[in-house]
Amino acid sequence: MKSLSFMPRFLIVVSCAAFAGVLILASRQPSVHAAGQAPAPTPVQAGAGLFQQDCAFCHGRDAMGGETGPDLTRSKLVLSDTDGSKIAEVVRNGRLNTEKKMPPFHVSDAEMVSLVEFIRARVTAAAAMKGGRRGVDVADLQTGNVELGKQYFNGAGGCSKCHSPTGDLAGVASRHQGLSLERRMLYPEGAKSKVTVTLASGETVTGTLAYLDEFTVGLRDSNNTYRSWFIDKVKKYVVDSPVEAHVEQFPKYTDADIHNLMAYIQTLK
Amino acid sequence: MKLFQSAVVLAASALCVTALSPHFVVAQNLENSQILKPTPDSWPLYHGDYSGRRHSPLTQITPQNVDRLSLAWAFQTRQFFEIKSTPLLVDGVLYFSVPEHIWAVDARSGHQLWHYSKPTPKGLHIGHRGVAMYKGWLYFTTTDAHLVSLNAKDGTVRWSKEIADVNAGYWTTMSPLIVKDHVIVGVSGDFDNLGGYLRSFDPETGDMQWQWNSTPSVGTPNSTTGGMTWMTGTYDPELNLIFWGTGNPTPVLKGDSRPGDDQWTCSIVAINPDTGKLAWGFQASPHDTHDWDAVETPVLVDADFHGQPRKMLMQASRNGYFFVLDRTTGKSLLTVPFGPTNWALGVDKEGRPIPNPEKEPKPDGRLIAPDEGGLTNYRAPSFDPRTGLFIVDAHPSYSVYFAKPADGAYGWAGADYGLWGKGVIDAIDYQTGKIRWSHDVGDGGSGAGILTTESGLTITGDGLGNVLALETKTGKTLWHARTGRGMESSPITYELDGRQYIITSSGGTLFAWALPENALEGGSSASQPH
Repeated sequence: MKSLSFMPRFLIVVSCAAFAGVLILASRQPSVHAAGQAPAPTPVQAGAGLFQQDCAFCHGRDAMGGETGPDLTRSKLVLSDTDGSKIAEVVRNGRLNTEKKMPPFHVSDAEMVSLVEFIRARVTAAAAMKGGRRGVDVADLQTGNVELGKQYFNGAGGCSKCHSPTGDLAGVASRHQGLSLERRMLYPEGAKSKVTVTLASGETVTGTLAYLDEFTVGLRDSNNTYRSWFIDKVKKYVVDSPVEAHVEQFPKYTDADIHNLMAYIQTLK
Repeated sequence: MKLFQSAVVLAASALCVTALSPHFVVAQNLENSQILKPTPDSWPLYHGDYSGRRHSPLTQITPQNVDRLSLAWAFQTRQFFEIKSTPLLVDGVLYFSVPEHIWAVDARSGHQLWHYSKPTPKGLHIGHRGVAMYKGWLYFTTTDAHLVSLNAKDGTVRWSKEIADVNAGYWTTMSPLIVKDHVIVGVSGDFDNLGGYLRSFDPETGDMQWQWNSTPSVGTPNSTTGGMTWMTGTYDPELNLIFWGTGNPTPVLKGDSRPGDDQWTCSIVAINPDTGKLAWGFQASPHDTHDWDAVETPVLVDADFHGQPRKMLMQASRNGYFFVLDRTTGKSLLTVPFGPTNWALGVDKEGRPIPNPEKEPKPDGRLIAPDEGGLTNYRAPSFDPRTGLFIVDAHPSYSVYFAKPADGAYGWAGADYGLWGKGVIDAIDYQTGKIRWSHDVGDGGSGAGILTTESGLTITGDGLGNVLALETKTGKTLWHARTGRGMESSPITYELDGRQYIITSSGGTLFAWALPENALEGGSSASQPH
């Protein structure tokens, strides 16, 4: 075959070099795109957009919480979620049995992947902030006095009526720390109540309160069987809710009481 | 000649028909006169009327017969946003919304006439309060802070105008207020240090008519930003004033960069709707550091106060206080807490709570009552003139608030966490602030608004999915229905073809309730002449 003359060869070389240059430039972009279109977002960017739409109002734009919703960058559930399934479960089902009633969200599998990526990116970014990190650190909650806290526990606080540092509260500060411990101390969400229902026949049934509105009361008995009754069909029902003592204490605390109590509770490791 | 005579007769008949029965002209139009004096077969704006009392004159459904209330129809939106809007009912068609969507539903059959939806990725999708209507056009605020005008007949878009810059951090959720030829909208946005404002648009062109700024320009030294105008205001046509609540200052939980009262944040303001000029302002929370907007309905009531006739404005505010003002001057008549509060040192001589500096958020936390969501929130209250009761869905609650230097001075600038709360419907005596009755609606609270009727009923919901009809005098439950999800909107009522309907929502479904048809035979019609 006759070899190519100089000019065509030169053109081929230049074209190849130009083409190679374009390829190198293109590979620097997140994704190749047609001229005039915005680049396709990365999963973290897509997740950020979805997070702003649906989550930021409660969990903060940076996922660090404190606007009604928890700080996701310190959340035990988020930190222990290796494959995103725990986060997905909460997003899709909500948390309707909590004080703030997180609603469920309809998120496709692809969207969930991007949401989890964004949350993980926020966890990493938050951890890098160290001293400048916003939110509540364990170090912030050390302004109380242990001895005064112990006195309050056994005295005006009334805590020792139901709780014991060597009994139910032994090791509580090993199980929970910081804000999580303080919130449980002030009001333990999810604490169970007992209910005794007196039926029209006079028979009484006792169990763990499982449901209550104006019209229906439901319990789980000792076999974990669920039973319910219309309230207007039973003689009476009596709820025993020890956790109510925490609610009654709210108007009685000074902020110093709370900080002192927290100092004492943190010694129960 | 004969043709001409026939034409004259025809024209005259048409005129007679139009003159004698305005409802005969069914064109889904809405004139100013119909908004000013709503007929019983309408709910033409967010509040039902300009007063915000949400008190219906209808008496077909009574405390005696409400136990027979049953389902007339249900409309399922088949999407996942909770309905938080108050529907409009105009000429037999219901219009309601969620973020990104509007539905028009035949109020007789409960079937869909049209559905507008526009995926809008930008802006927070926390909720939507409803559309506004004027003449044949709907007005819809979007998550990305635009005002869209649509043809009420078919949902086609006429124009879209920017209300605010969503990229700066604004979004919108509210139902605009139509006053004469003004479409008045407010803005949302607490996560940035932004200026709050009200803007009036021309209903035909969408051109801006005026803007009222609630806070000084961004960047003014030692001054606040914020004062978002989240919710729909009310209007007094005789005084020609609109009354609007403003939101909290930014930065939210930290007040050092904004010393002083931070006007006009957490305020009730009276504005001239033609000019946008401020007539007076009252601060419900001077120098707020707890996110307690004062955007709850400013309810307008003309009645005696301590023996003297007064034009009043009442607000059960997020910060836990019930305020009664003279709305001609803005002067305080009464300031009383309507639930547990622990953040104020007292009330000053102007009737404003005095914030306790010790209860501002601190690095090691402060116990605060109520929580950030407030003793009440967006859910609408109702005023019943017969009993003199201001009825509101309240949320007695406790929380912990934190703020430290590392939280900065931008946006939230701190952290707050709710500890506990419960839901109660409180009936407040407007002259004393005393709670005459209180009806539990569940741990955690309820998102339901309140509607009262002239026959003595209070319609609301609990936090567990029950729709409730209570006796307004006593708070006793007279009827309920289980709808599955807690009501997150405020109920409405209207009369159609001689039958009174109550509309409630649960999750993504709208429910219409009415007495059974056979209960109406020979019975009263819904609207009584008075």
